[in-house]
Amino acid sequence: MHPGSEHVCQLWLSSVTIDWGVRGNSRLHLTRRRFATQLLLLVLVVCSLSARAEESFERVNVVDPYLELRTGPGRGYPITTIAERGELVEILRRRTDWFKIRTARGQEGWVVREQMERTLTEAGVKTSFRDVLVEDYLRRKLEFGFAYGQFDFDPILTARVGYRLHENFLLELTLSQVPGDFSSTTLTYVSIMSQPYPDSDWSPYFSLGYGKFNNKPKATLVSAIETDADLANAGIGVRYYLTRQFVARLEFKQHVALINFSRSDSFSEWSLGISAFF
Amino acid sequence: MKKTLNLILLALLLGSVVTTPAPAQTPTPVIQPEVERRNIRIPKINVDDIEIGLYGGILSVQDFGANSVSQVRVAYHLTEDFFIEGTFAHSTVSDDSFRSLGIPIFTQPDTSLDYYHLSVGYNLFPGEIFFGKDWAMTSAVYLIAGAGNVKFNNENNTAFNFGIGIRVLPKDWLAIRVEMRDMLFESDVLGKNEIKHNFEMTLGLAVYF
Repeated sequence: MHPGSEHVCQLWLSSVTIDWGVRGNSRLHLTRRRFATQLLLLVLVVCSLSARAEESFERVNVVDPYLELRTGPGRGYPITTIAERGELVEILRRRTDWFKIRTARGQEGWVVREQMERTLTEAGVKTSFRDVLVEDYLRRKLEFGFAYGQFDFDPILTARVGYRLHENFLLELTLSQVPGDFSSTTLTYVSIMSQPYPDSDWSPYFSLGYGKFNNKPKATLVSAIETDADLANAGIGVRYYLTRQFVARLEFKQHVALINFSRSDSFSEWSLGISAFF
Repeated sequence: MKKTLNLILLALLLGSVVTTPAPAQTPTPVIQPEVERRNIRIPKINVDDIEIGLYGGILSVQDFGANSVSQVRVAYHLTEDFFIEGTFAHSTVSDDSFRSLGIPIFTQPDTSLDYYHLSVGYNLFPGEIFFGKDWAMTSAVYLIAGAGNVKFNNENNTAFNFGIGIRVLPKDWLAIRVEMRDMLFESDVLGKNEIKHNFEMTLGLAVYF
């Protein structure tokens, strides 16, 4: 991006803020204000990007007889030029398994990871553009995921965030929603997961959780009341390492809702999900 | 009492320091190896597999007409073929036509429709689009499908979606996307429980991070 773009961005920002602050508070201006907020967001995003464009790029030495430079990041794009052995090339960006590089002659193009793996850094060290491997994921702390399943006879959607406390233990926060025929239920959980064999591709696990249960009947039902309750669960499941930073999870959970001193309900849940670790 | 305790603690601490064995004297090597230290560091590269965008368009809600819809989407590109995408959307639905017949459906004339989805996309036809004679932009026609939740008239329902779209990249970090989708969910808002088809057409601008 052009070096002057940062100033343009600042100008934009200030003009948008003035427009935002000075106008009156009629309804028309409120919609304008909302529009201004959206615009502000967009400009912020673009500005943060242009600021990033100023940094210097990593340079590597070509070891293969040549690197093939394509017009786009995909196997089908035509090869327009090459970079020869011994040439120092700049790496501009990476998208999935493709690297955008600039040759010493200033030509740009996309190179596949397999070819980039055999390049050397300026210091003569082998580069490390390999994939994330199974052992890497035990060192990663944070995990995000989604799951879809069956909660008694209703579908359940779950979003989860996990923090790895130890190789064998994961602390997890989950939010689930059960949109049933007569009511919709929200489950919030804090749970601990134990993985006895964390480094195998198929890794079984056990989990225990405590949380809250909220059940809201549909508005079309007559004289139905909202229910809040404490919730506990025990689960068993298996994790399968897919590729890069992704893990698939299949699990079975038994939930117990403690509605009051004399009444408790139990539910069973099956779910299949995908998680990514960072 | 406290003072004596402190004294004892101090004494113990000092004792432990004194009693630690001194490290054994290492013998001086006969040959001093001259190794040049290599400067090893992990290469820093902009990995921009994440795409964040703002979208706007028209959502046609079955039985209730078409309304504007605004969305925020976050996508992660897994490979050159597949991506996963989360969508959060907001729209407002009005029951004006029912109300004019004297049968209001909602408690208020306008009700909100919010949904979130997690979808998987497949870049079916990657390619290039030529604009004029100097400008080539990478592009892709993709298929997308997923599941999520829709909150319509204060009721939550599971929703499924599928669609087709085109993505054009005028810059490596910027994408323009046009998409058509159908969102399906069960609703009993008109008394009978049935599956509703809700077509949606959106245009959006997304940046890669």
